[in-house]
Amino acid sequence: METRPLGDTGHDSTVATFGAIALNWLEQEGANQLVEHVLDYGVNHFDVAPEYGDAELKLGPKLRQHREEIFLGCKTQERTYEGAWRKLDRSLNRLGVDTIDLYQVHGLEYEEELDAITDDDGALAAFREAKEEGLIDHVGLTSHGDPGLILDALDRIDDLESVMFPLNPVVAGKDDDEYDYEAVLARADERNVGTLGIKAFAGGTWPPTDELPEADRPFANWYRPVTAPDEISERFDFAAAQGLTSVVSAGDPKLVTMILEAAADYDGMDEAAQRSLIERVRHDDSPVPEQLHH
Amino acid sequence: MDVPRTVATALADRPVAGKRCLEAGAGAGNATAGLLANGAARVYAVTNDRDHARTTRRRVGDEGNRSSDGDGNDEGGDDHADRLAVLEADLRAVPLPDDAVDVITAHGLCNVLDPASLSAVAEELSRVAAPGAHLVVDDYDPVPDGAAIGELFAVENAASELSRGRPALTFYPAAFLRRFFAGHGWEFERERTLLEPVPWTESHVAAHADQAVDAAKEGPGETGDALAAAARRLESEIGSESVGRMYGLAFRLPD
Ligand SMILES: NC(=O)c1ccc[n+]([C@@H]2O[C@H](COP(=O)([O-])OP(=O)(O)OC[C@H]3O[C@@H](n4cnc5c(N)ncnc54)[C@H](OP(=O)(O)O)[C@@H]3O)[C@@H](O)[C@H]2O)c1
Ligand SMILES: C[S@@+](CC[C@H](N)C(=O)[O-])C[C@H]1O[C@@H](n2cnc3c(N)ncnc32)[C@H](O)[C@@H]1O
Repeated sequence: METRPLGDTGHDSTVATFGAIALNWLEQEGANQLVEHVLDYGVNHFDVAPEYGDAELKLGPKLRQHREEIFLGCKTQERTYEGAWRKLDRSLNRLGVDTIDLYQVHGLEYEEELDAITDDDGALAAFREAKEEGLIDHVGLTSHGDPGLILDALDRIDDLESVMFPLNPVVAGKDDDEYDYEAVLARADERNVGTLGIKAFAGGTWPPTDELPEADRPFANWYRPVTAPDEISERFDFAAAQGLTSVVSAGDPKLVTMILEAAADYDGMDEAAQRSLIERVRHDDSPVPEQLHH
Repeated sequence: MDVPRTVATALADRPVAGKRCLEAGAGAGNATAGLLANGAARVYAVTNDRDHARTTRRRVGDEGNRSSDGDGNDEGGDDHADRLAVLEADLRAVPLPDDAVDVITAHGLCNVLDPASLSAVAEELSRVAAPGAHLVVDDYDPVPDGAAIGELFAVENAASELSRGRPALTFYPAAFLRRFFAGHGWEFERERTLLEPVPWTESHVAAHADQAVDAAKEGPGETGDALAAAARRLESEIGSESVGRMYGLAFRLPD
């Protein structure tokens, strides 16, 4: 599988990153199998978070077995120094590892949160200490919020080494600033900050729950994903062709193999085909930006 | 409104800022929006269809506070209405004097012009263009053999021929329009592929089926009914299809 430099980290990430939230929906044995399956495709970048149910615990055994082959991203939704330290210790314990390669501020939504994490007793102070102590190697940030906020974060956090944000043809077809994640990609590239794409496979929002109760949704993603192999592969190709370092696989394990196949087959997408995809989907609803109110 | 990538790509290397523009065949207002977003001094958006004129005014004129970069205050952002004149007129007799415009766009226009109209329209475009003017012609290559959408276009054309004596759609190859406009004095500058494949979405397919049914209703009884039924059948069979190519040509008049 193709690899690309993750900004200045010195790590080359595969063009697909495994979104380990998928493990949360599996029993331990299935989780072990899925990790082996992902590694068989050569994927070398994994992404997990304490909020993904049991995903950290279920990733643990195979992560420890294959620690050298995996560049591990984890995150925290804590915004304070104390909270971030606590969550980092907890994640290290649950994962059963000594170090996390990329530790990310998870799901930034509001300008006040940016103020909080950059404060003297904010989460980033804990990140920096942990980095000095060798517990984490690199600092990142994730958001499916307003692109303007992510741009601010890029401007304000000097030691930021990666950003994770949505990018897909639905948002690419919309001109408003609130959908302008391409500006985030451009700014990150300028700064040599690694870029991880999420929501590449988002098809739209789910119907209202009175039409389709949550329990009857056929996929675990909180948005409606595209699900046909052709659509998955053109969505992957589109995201990878925008120049992201890596595209994070969707949260439902049923989609993972199709995404891995698309990533293994990836060999670019010409611009006329990218425009064709944008033109086809640009009137669809976008599930991002979304205020998730964690 | 969002400026489609096709329009943005077609205009990207054309000097539009500060220019007097003619958007020939305003349709949905897409190219009009692109010209305004790129800083046109004035856009005459001409269509012979009252609904299209209204649509263009509503989508582009009224809503000009959201243009290219969408921040609501880029230059020209909120004065779209001042720079836009939507004219309901026939392009075979454009209501503008000679040498009146510097940029002309025909975005998806030629395929709705039968050869006789195309010829008359080209005369007019050449007349209103000032020396050194730019012409942008974006259109579709003929639909490849075997494409399902081709059957729907065939039915639409059959119905139109029978009831109106001319085809509804003619897909001119890029090479054809290139030589055709050269014959009207336009120097060819470049060709780009805007879309490949062309996404004929459900709403496009439905709109063409509606056109076919409307034309069929004007046609002779039994044949008309059969064509209308065929159009509806094809609409549901096809759903949507991505096939073929949309190209963008650019020309210039000598100074
Ligand atoms: N409670 C919540 O607010 C919340 C939010 C998102 C997802 N989820 C759960 O996660 C499942 C699938 O997640 P998904 O569909 O969003 O992911 P996805 O796009 O299918 O998978 C991409 C991966 O990126 C992560 N990701 C997505 N957006 C992110 C962000 N802004 N910041 C950091 N990481 C992000 C995902 O988790 P994240 O999206 O969590 O970050 C997931 O690990 C859902 O079924 C839902 O149960 C819950
Ligand atoms: C397919 S639309 C073009 C799309 C449009 N350029 C846009 O960017 O959204 C074709 C337009 O040409 C107009 N048209 C066709 N023949 C015409 C004629 N003879 N005179 C004026 N307008 C004409 C149609 O009414 C329609 O508005």
